[in-house]
Amino acid sequence: MRVVVCLKQVIDPLTPASTLALDRNEKKIRAGVTAPPVINGFDEQGLEAALRLRETNKDIEIICLAAGERFSNDVMKRSLAVGADQLILVQDPSLDTWDPYPIAAALAAAIRQIGGADLVICGRQGSDWDNALTPYILADLVELPLLTLAKSVTVADGKRVEIERVLADGSMRMNAQLPALVTVTSELGALRMPTVSARLAATRKQPRQFALAELGTAVVPGHAPEVVDLAIPVTGRSCTFIDAADGPSAGVRLAETLLQAGAIRLGGER
Amino acid sequence: MTGILIVAEVDAGELRPEFWELVTVARAMSATLSGGISIAVIGAKVDAAARQTAGIGEVHVIEDDRLADPWPEAHAAALIQLSGELAPQMVIAPRTILGAEMAARLAVRCRWQLVQDVTQIEATADGGLQGVRPVSGGAVAATIRAGAGPWVVVPRPRAFAPAEAGTGAESIAPLRHSFAPPALATACETPKRIAVEGISIDRAKTVIAGGGGLCGPEPFTLLREIADLVGGAVGASRVAVDSGWVQSALQVGLTGKTIAPDLYIAVGISGAIQHLIGCSSSQVIVAVNNDASAPIFGVANYGVVGDWKEVMPAFRDALAGRTA
Ligand SMILES: Cc1cc2nc3c(=O)[nH]c(=O)nc-3n(C[C@H](O)[C@H](O)[C@H](O)COP(=O)(O)OP(=O)(O)OC[C@H]3O[C@@H](n4cnc5c(N)ncnc54)[C@H](O)[C@@H]3O)c2cc1C
Repeated sequence: MRVVVCLKQVIDPLTPASTLALDRNEKKIRAGVTAPPVINGFDEQGLEAALRLRETNKDIEIICLAAGERFSNDVMKRSLAVGADQLILVQDPSLDTWDPYPIAAALAAAIRQIGGADLVICGRQGSDWDNALTPYILADLVELPLLTLAKSVTVADGKRVEIERVLADGSMRMNAQLPALVTVTSELGALRMPTVSARLAATRKQPRQFALAELGTAVVPGHAPEVVDLAIPVTGRSCTFIDAADGPSAGVRLAETLLQAGAIRLGGER
Repeated sequence: MTGILIVAEVDAGELRPEFWELVTVARAMSATLSGGISIAVIGAKVDAAARQTAGIGEVHVIEDDRLADPWPEAHAAALIQLSGELAPQMVIAPRTILGAEMAARLAVRCRWQLVQDVTQIEATADGGLQGVRPVSGGAVAATIRAGAGPWVVVPRPRAFAPAEAGTGAESIAPLRHSFAPPALATACETPKRIAVEGISIDRAKTVIAGGGGLCGPEPFTLLREIADLVGGAVGASRVAVDSGWVQSALQVGLTGKTIAPDLYIAVGISGAIQHLIGCSSSQVIVAVNNDASAPIFGVANYGVVGDWKEVMPAFRDALAGRTA
């Protein structure tokens, strides 16, 4: 069984907003300081889901697939270090875009090129633009059933995929016949750490490179809105720090301050 | 032809409150879009909810047993069907787990432009739409522009004031459509709902939230005691949810809930941008954190630099003393 995990290389989402550099002409967000990029966290969790599947179904091939403008090999090869069998990078300047349609089209074309997949796993959304649309477009383009927001993924007898979908107030079991596409959410858990020997072995493996042109994707006409401007929002408030000799007296003083300011009304007005 | 179609989400027989924020957006947009406002009510037992929406516009109902559970593919199929029959210029859906997915599936299937997560939206002179939305977890605000419609609009929760409920005076009987979906490729079981203790964070006027600094599930009992004293709710950061200390329903932030209580108390929460986007519209923010450089203090009105283990029990006792 072949599992394709889609990975996106993004700016580290923990980069402080104050150090982001906005390219207002190109409408791009760049890490101002040279902080290394990361694999989108939800996508890493998708890879973790695939690795867990392989623990119970030994004959699973895991192929990681990324589409982007350019890649940091070190960053992307982390996928090989934790156990992916192959890493495929589709590279093209046009793929540095907020528009999810060209990215999904590139992923779809690469999946076709390698002869399809039994299961495609994506993260629920990219932490760069937060569009959460690529999996929907990809499922539409490759005509796969789509199950979203999985916190667990299992495959029954190689034929059906079952997930537990996170809801606002609980969860729901869902399933679909393979081949299918699943998106995962952070409740699934973090990607495992590579072992030292696996990391060393991964340095010798090389990603396969696909040029967009050789995949022959048709240009997808724009269905997404365009970004016309970017700005860093101002959010600061001025903080009054509670001064006190120790923790407990700070707690008491905080209670008094909030009562006095009318921020707390006891007795509970709901 | 329909101008605007609002998706009225029904959850366990009840109209979700986000509906009234969508009405505000629809009324503002209807100044430039002809065709009036219609409402899509999709579910299994939706009569009561459909009645509540009367007075806002023409109500279209798809009621079917297959729509009893929040099954995304089925609900999206119903919305795609209604959109085909009514040919709206704009569909407005709530940014709930189900609503956002229905919007995405509709937009992708029909290749309509999805204008999502907007905190502002207006029609442009050339017949398009322009809006502002957070991206990169809220670190950046993007101005986006969509060309000619149809559009699927998903407003950011809490960004638009809820409209007043209609009087129902002008209400006419809802128009019923029978559900005729294509073959559905996914299946679902009935959800396992975990009841939230106390009031939900969406509705509470005070929310006291705990994060990674609490180091385990037990300290949430202390937060619960404080919440009970002030008639509030307990919330959490993603670290607390992903660690399994509390249920997902409590998560505040980018992939959790967006709330705007009168008072938000963040205990042992660092203030990552993806958390702040869910609570930064709170009227008063209080932070308790032992790291004076934690970003949460940058958005707080009141701060205590200290160990919650020392600060919070005394805080609870001081409040309890006042109520006694
Ligand atoms: C795409 C994306 C989406 C995300 N969505 C969300 C979301 O919806 N909601 C969310 O919350 N996060 C979200 N995150 C995660 C976010 O980036 C942070 O990792 C998370 O908010 C951190 O949670 P925390 O501050 O509780 O924990 P930590 O980062 O572990 O911080 C703990 C804090 O507690 C303090 N502390 C420790 N001990 C004590 C003590 N004894 N007394 C007082 N203070 C103490 C520490 O100083 C620290 O500031 C998302 C991230 C990404 C990339």
